[in-house]
Amino acid sequence: MKLTRISRAAIAISAVAGLATVGVVAPSQAATRTTVVIVESNALTSLNPSTPDTNLTINNDVAYMTGNGFNYYNASANLVKNTVFGSYKIVKSSAKDFRVQYTVAKGKVWSDGTPITGVDLLLSHVLSSSAYSKKAGLGDPADTSKAPAFNSLGYGGVYDTHIVGLPELSADKQSVTVRYDSFQPDWEITGPGPSPVHALVAMANGKTKLGTAAENLAAKAAYLAAFKSYNSTLLNKIAKVWSNSYNIKTVNSSTNPLLLVGNGAYKIASAVADQSVTLTLNPKYNSGPKTSGIKTVVLKMIADGTAASQALANKEIDIYQGQPTADAVAQLKAISGVTVIGGTNSCFEHVDLRLGSINDTDYTGPFAASNNAAKNAKAKDLRTAFLLAYPRQEIVDKLIKPINSKAVVVNSSFTLPGQTGYSTIVKSSGVSKFTAGDQASRTAAALKLVQKHYPTAAAGSNAVTITLLWGQPSNTRRAAEAALVKAELAKAGFNVINTGTSGWGGQLDNNSFDAAFFAWCPTSTSQTGTNANFLSDGGNNFIGYNNAKMDDVLRSLEAKLTPAQITAKYLAADSLLISDAVTLPIFQHPAATAVNSALKNVKPAPLSPTLVWNFWEWKY
Amino acid sequence: MIAYILRRLSALVVILFGSSFIIYNLSAISGDPLEALRISQDPNAAQQIITLTRDLQLDVPPPLRYFLWLKGVLGAFVGQVDFGMTRDAQSVTDAVAAAIPTTIRLVVGATVIAIILGITIGIVTALRQYSRFDYAMTFFAFLLFSLPIFWFAVLLKQYLAIGFNNFLTDPQVSAPWIIGLSLFSGLFWASVIGGDRRKVFTIFGIAAVGSAAVIMLLGSLDWFRNPGLGPIVIFGASVGIAFAVTQLSTGLAVRAALKSALAMAVFGLVAYYPAQWVMEQENHLLNFVLMATVTVAVAILTSRFFAKEDRGSVTRTAIITAAFVAILIIIDKFMQTWAPYMETDAINYRPVPTVGQVNDLLEPGNFWISSLDVLMHMFLPTVALTLISFAGYIRYSRGSLLEVLNQDYIRTARAKGLTERTVIMRHAFRNTMIPLTTLMVVDFAGIIGGAIITERIFGWVGMGTLFNQAINTMDLNLLMGVFLVTATMSVMANLIADLLYSALDPRIRVGK
Repeated sequence: MKLTRISRAAIAISAVAGLATVGVVAPSQAATRTTVVIVESNALTSLNPSTPDTNLTINNDVAYMTGNGFNYYNASANLVKNTVFGSYKIVKSSAKDFRVQYTVAKGKVWSDGTPITGVDLLLSHVLSSSAYSKKAGLGDPADTSKAPAFNSLGYGGVYDTHIVGLPELSADKQSVTVRYDSFQPDWEITGPGPSPVHALVAMANGKTKLGTAAENLAAKAAYLAAFKSYNSTLLNKIAKVWSNSYNIKTVNSSTNPLLLVGNGAYKIASAVADQSVTLTLNPKYNSGPKTSGIKTVVLKMIADGTAASQALANKEIDIYQGQPTADAVAQLKAISGVTVIGGTNSCFEHVDLRLGSINDTDYTGPFAASNNAAKNAKAKDLRTAFLLAYPRQEIVDKLIKPINSKAVVVNSSFTLPGQTGYSTIVKSSGVSKFTAGDQASRTAAALKLVQKHYPTAAAGSNAVTITLLWGQPSNTRRAAEAALVKAELAKAGFNVINTGTSGWGGQLDNNSFDAAFFAWCPTSTSQTGTNANFLSDGGNNFIGYNNAKMDDVLRSLEAKLTPAQITAKYLAADSLLISDAVTLPIFQHPAATAVNSALKNVKPAPLSPTLVWNFWEWKY
Repeated sequence: MIAYILRRLSALVVILFGSSFIIYNLSAISGDPLEALRISQDPNAAQQIITLTRDLQLDVPPPLRYFLWLKGVLGAFVGQVDFGMTRDAQSVTDAVAAAIPTTIRLVVGATVIAIILGITIGIVTALRQYSRFDYAMTFFAFLLFSLPIFWFAVLLKQYLAIGFNNFLTDPQVSAPWIIGLSLFSGLFWASVIGGDRRKVFTIFGIAAVGSAAVIMLLGSLDWFRNPGLGPIVIFGASVGIAFAVTQLSTGLAVRAALKSALAMAVFGLVAYYPAQWVMEQENHLLNFVLMATVTVAVAILTSRFFAKEDRGSVTRTAIITAAFVAILIIIDKFMQTWAPYMETDAINYRPVPTVGQVNDLLEPGNFWISSLDVLMHMFLPTVALTLISFAGYIRYSRGSLLEVLNQDYIRTARAKGLTERTVIMRHAFRNTMIPLTTLMVVDFAGIIGGAIITERIFGWVGMGTLFNQAINTMDLNLLMGVFLVTATMSVMANLIADLLYSALDPRIRVGK
């Protein structure tokens, strides 16, 4: 097509101008920042994180910042009492009667000004006691065909199993006393927390506006009466609100303000579905430590790690707790104006060897324990050899240290490095058998053990075939671990079949696997939390471990013990695991948090709420 | 015809049933929703397994569970449709309904731009077959086409967002950049315009020196701090547009059309200041409708005044020109908003974002600032998607036009003595568009399926993200919700494409 000269000129001029339109503007001085933008990998799905469907990190983070209770976990995974809000103490401790009293300090208020009292602690009982749920006509949580009215995560736990009767409200209504049928070692983490029952009652009655002070007190009284009399009608209406109404993704001016009543330092100002949640200061807040100058917190959904680190480089966000891979950490460290905080999260990887049958399926592989002494000794030798040759140090050096340079091999299945008693346990548990010398000498020792039973065994001879379960092939770190394991164990005469398995969690009780490595991720510092792993009938005993001595030790943990006594018990249990050669821990999962260097006091913790636990200390 | 459509629609039902059954069962056996709970150390893990089994009906084998799901969906016929709940306690209908607009916002702009740009370049390369421009565009198009989006998007963010924002802290265009941009501009225009060697060098020189001069001039005038086009530049560009539009629409020989188009350029100049005032008023939708109405009315009246015969094409020319002028004025308005936008606390002189759809900290209230914010957030994803996807259109339109140009009717048209413009625009271009139309229909259906990777990289939750999330969390209800929408769209699009083909091309009859 032929253009005339004049139109060509016109086009050329506008195009040159267009190409040159690369805008350039000078900045002015920035005001002191009072905003923190945090990356979350999921979007907000509910303001109530206590149902099975809504128990997500972001929901928990929002709930934590908009509500305070009696205690929280700090960066060293210790439980800290929130004395500003109230106090709790053991008021009776005998063999069959163990009582704890929780007292809300006077003058604490919800964000709508309603005083917080012991009545607000009583909903916890409804949310945790199956007996109450059944008696009040709220459904049986164990029913496999119908969900209970309060679709709560709380059922089936320690509280549910051991609670006796109804919690007692004191005369001044500020305290609640709960009674257990025996001493509960984990009593501190099973206690009640406050819920705005007046707002729940108001919403159950169809209200969509904040009530007056008198209405709120009346609503609170109505709840107390319903709670005491097992009033099925009102409780079912409240349950409907509690289970469903909080499941919102959008918060704006048309949101029912009763849903937003809380006692935390921040209130939800707005939420855009699948994008972000904006929290602003709660002017009536007095239930916890004072904040240090951050006026607005935005939780922004970014699922992709690279996108988050580039957003950090572009100063769109301030805190990003990353997917810790070596590349991602290197990328974060390269950003100027950003501090990368390393460390570990609560998960630790470990290798398990299969001994016996579980769920009535027989295990007859090379590691199987047996009543026949010779067979049993052979299996134990093979297990010991396998663990000896397992390249734990190499895994840590090659896969974990690039992310967390301070990573070490973990040597106790009950405590982690840095925790109380760890060094004592490691010194005497006998684990030195698996740490002495270098890997080459340990692998040589392993080969000797194998040769005891298979004289022709040699490096690469594939004398013993082991099927290893480790996870999805798409999990690159686990795939790399599996490859290192195969290579090193081949030197000790083992042929490790290390094909990845999707849906591996459901295969843990499959008897075709001889060994498995995966991670335990404790969600609390429960004294008895590991019992399920090693009790003969433990729910998480996937190795078929059946040792009466171990059962005795673990059962004795369910008592009131001093830290020294607990360490002694853990030492005994760890020693049994070592001498039976059934499992070895490997490493703690590394964590990486990248923070705008100007923001002070961000100290990620291993346990939930990991990142935001000390949000009140954050400041610029 | 109706019988044909009915037959196709009944086939659609069978296809949807079969494919949904297969997809449901394949996904159901692809993973274990209870996996995390099986190794959970929560004291009440057993209770949680009971709850999840109950909620997801895991005790029913997948092939039977499919029919439970189907029962809910078929409830549509009795007015009680139930697509079920997602695993995070949201209704699937809500989740999908929220995701579709996001996906459309993300992908439609890029697709439209890719189509327009791709077809334009494709046609020009076909007309200049085997020219320097043809090779250059083919090379660039395929270079971009071969880039993976996850990598290309990272590069765009690094240079166009982070790098550019950093540059804004000390906005001096350095000498290497001026030289680089000028060289690029020179090369670009030299390859586009082409000609003999002397001419190529001349064009290269003019374009390079011109670009460098413009960049330095604008920099020294502090134009970048308060960007804007102003009535004079808008008028100059409008005159150029008037000539270009007239040439393509009717040919410059039709003087009435040229006069009308130039009159619209003048109208843009006259209306500039009143338009500024109107755009500052509240109720922006009404204002836009009013302004559009006035503009179109003026365009019609002007062309009536100049043209005595063949008024249709003259009016068309005037309206197209007026639309371009209006776009220039709106761009100018956004440029004026640039400075106040950057000064807000939320933006704080880093105007190009890398993720998200809006800045959460921006105070709502000012229409132009909020709109600019939305546009800035759409900027990088749109650029990325456009650049990697327009190569296809270049090749299709180039090939299609080349084929049409070899047809007998083109030779006939030329033999009749028609101008080259008429031959290309009226005879060749229209026939070129027939196969491209069907391509576009299918492409638009694909849009609804979302762009999984792009959405993830830019932090947008659209259909692609839902699909990904559904697979990762074994959320069958959500997966099937997304699947039903995308599958229906693609089957319907194929039907529409077939019907459209027969409507556009009289040689083709459906149903035979």
